[in-house]
Amino acid sequence: MNTQGTGWRIAALLWMGVAGVGGASAEERGPGLTTPVVLMPFDPATPNCAAPAGLSRVLAFARDNDRDFMLGIDLGLAMAAADGQLEYRTTTADNDPGKMQEQVDAFLAARVAGLVAAPVDAATLAPHLQEHIWSGAYVGTIVPPPATTILNAPQYLTGKALRDAAAAYITTELNGTANVVLLTHDSMEFLTPRFAAMRDSLVMIPGAVIVADISPVTVNGEGGYATMQTILLAEPRVDVVLGADTVVLGALAAMRDAGLDRPDQFFGGIDGEPAAVAELLLPDSPYKASISLAASVFGYAMGRNAVDWLEGKSIPQAIDILPIALTVESLPAYQADIADPGAVYADPARRDTYLKFYGNICYDSRENYLNFPWSSEGISRG
Amino acid sequence: MQARIGKSATRATRYSTILLAIGFLALAGIVVVTFRLAVQTRADLATSVLARNVATAAFELRDGLQAAESSQRGYLYNNNEIYLAPYSTAKTRALRQLDTLTTLLEPDPDTRIVMERLGILVRQKVDEMDRTITLKRNRQEAEAAAILKSNVGKALMDEANVFLSSIVRNANANLTGNMAQQNDGLMQLTRIILAAAVLILMVVATTIWVVQGFVGDLRQTQDEVILANTRLERRVGERTHELTMARDRAEVLLAEVNHRVANSLALVASMVGMQSRATGSPEARQALSETQSRISAVAIVHKQLYSTGDVQSVALGEFLPSLLGQIEASMRASGHQSFLKSDIAPLTLPTDKSVSIGIIAAEWVTNAFKYAYPDGEGEIRVILTREGAEAELRVEDDGVGRQGELTPKGTGLGTKLVMALASSLGGRVEYVLGQPGTSARLIMPAA
Repeated sequence: MNTQGTGWRIAALLWMGVAGVGGASAEERGPGLTTPVVLMPFDPATPNCAAPAGLSRVLAFARDNDRDFMLGIDLGLAMAAADGQLEYRTTTADNDPGKMQEQVDAFLAARVAGLVAAPVDAATLAPHLQEHIWSGAYVGTIVPPPATTILNAPQYLTGKALRDAAAAYITTELNGTANVVLLTHDSMEFLTPRFAAMRDSLVMIPGAVIVADISPVTVNGEGGYATMQTILLAEPRVDVVLGADTVVLGALAAMRDAGLDRPDQFFGGIDGEPAAVAELLLPDSPYKASISLAASVFGYAMGRNAVDWLEGKSIPQAIDILPIALTVESLPAYQADIADPGAVYADPARRDTYLKFYGNICYDSRENYLNFPWSSEGISRG
Repeated sequence: MQARIGKSATRATRYSTILLAIGFLALAGIVVVTFRLAVQTRADLATSVLARNVATAAFELRDGLQAAESSQRGYLYNNNEIYLAPYSTAKTRALRQLDTLTTLLEPDPDTRIVMERLGILVRQKVDEMDRTITLKRNRQEAEAAAILKSNVGKALMDEANVFLSSIVRNANANLTGNMAQQNDGLMQLTRIILAAAVLILMVVATTIWVVQGFVGDLRQTQDEVILANTRLERRVGERTHELTMARDRAEVLLAEVNHRVANSLALVASMVGMQSRATGSPEARQALSETQSRISAVAIVHKQLYSTGDVQSVALGEFLPSLLGQIEASMRASGHQSFLKSDIAPLTLPTDKSVSIGIIAAEWVTNAFKYAYPDGEGEIRVILTREGAEAELRVEDDGVGRQGELTPKGTGLGTKLVMALASSLGGRVEYVLGQPGTSARLIMPAA
């Protein structure tokens, strides 16, 4: 980090505090809500408060990398910025935490009115995000705190969406009997509820036997391929494979190479990866479902929250992005929605199928920003 | 009727044979199936025992690894070596069960790769645990924690679990399959026994039905036979009655005819006697008188013969005394005083021969009455004897005899008649002059 630059920025902040223009008092530089609280549902009728002043009408997006998921968020944010007549800027840290910190600090120096961040390393980025909050800007984060609005994917619900699709298929198409493989993700602890949800439901189907509950060494296609090869040594008949899209796609490749793939198998993944979506559309493909988080939809929502924030409106403190099970049947409507997130956001009924809002916060109450790992599922995970 | 019984018996025999064959086949089927099931059950039992041992070893191996891991974690967390004793025990148990499992599955080539991989995983897991414990003992906590945090141990356990659960699942599937197979076998045996029982019951029922049918036919036939016999007896009775009536009528008619013939002969004799008495010529009178006598004798013979029931043969022992009695009575009535003595052997001859013998005897006795005792009375003896194949009739008297000449008195017709009749009998006549008296003899065949 460039210490000289940092010193300059601190001096500038102190000056702004003295001048009383857009600066933050000692109280306003508080830690936010560090103890987990239960957020009530968002109340859109909450009265407006003061609008932040001294911020440039810029919406920024600091992302960890350029994976598809991030690109979806980017699309939504850009559209929201356009609709809200904000300038939109975006940076990619290429999974470099230091680079991300610099990018975020640059946005702070530019006095952006809104910042959405997908941290590479949440712990090291947190103080920098706090500076944005204290500056009066809207700060939305993709999952980790701190933020005025936290976007969270309910992992149990996500796993449940996949398991429900799998359970329905096992019951209706496989006569309630199936050998199931769970490809887990041990290196990302916060994803544990996904697999807990899958195990919980499979227990309810007596004929569903989990023949393997294992985490690939690397969570990607190669890892899924190698792991499935190992599993096939022990159990050549596999009916259902569940996991992240990338590893499940790898597992499907291994199954195909072994000549053990069948049209009646159920391969289901999470993330809505394009390759998984392409598999869904293939005739007789074992790939039957992919649980997607509509990135552009919640990106758009966060962008609109930033616009509202600038106008002194009360916005949600947290957003759940609800999992959508993509199937051959549901895919066209879904693709239409993610291509036009503004229309979804404008239609409360359609919006509620993707998003769920919690709590209320505005510029005047920004000291209540969330500074704990929030989850609507009531579990505080670090 | 007999044909029907025969057909019924043949049908009953054929059906019974077929039914017994079916029953035998059913029994044979039960025996064969039972034997096959017993063989299959023994094989299934061996497979089940192997499957159970495999499942147990796999369970024990997993349990040993988990217990060892638990003890390892306990030691790493608490730094208390009390955990190392159960760790060592569990590790030893796990490795022993790995050897057991390898031995049990060795004959199955399909499990070779699985067991090779499982062996590697178990040893790597044990090595990982040993390594962390050693690091901890050497106070290299950071290195030990890094190994733990890498999740290598969990990954090894997860992968080992994939194989162990597969082995357990396959073993359980084998057990379940064997049990299902045995259950199927028992169900099959039960079904076969039930089917055979039903079949045998049907065989028995059908056999009873066939036998009852046969017995019914027999009874019906018996009833028909009884009815036919009754009808036949009634007809025979009726016919017998008719014959009896006919016989009685014939006997009455015959008696009437005999009576009329006798009367006619008597009438003829009377007419001849009247003619004799009316004739002036002594020779004619003599001839007519002899003719009358002979007709009378024939009438007597006729009367005697046809007074008996038998017209085919005549018992001379009864016929001749009766005939002689009548001749004697007739001659006495004519004024002759001589008397008859007879000794007749029990000889039975055909009626024609008896008539001839009767006429001959009447001729000789009449002559004896007339000529033997011109001055009075005397004894006349009639004797019939049998000597072997011959019979002899003798008429003897003690009278005047023929005085040395054999010329017959009278017309001589009687002698001719006697000779002719004797010839027809196949016999011969002898006259023997006695001192006194005469003996006339007829020797003839006794049959």
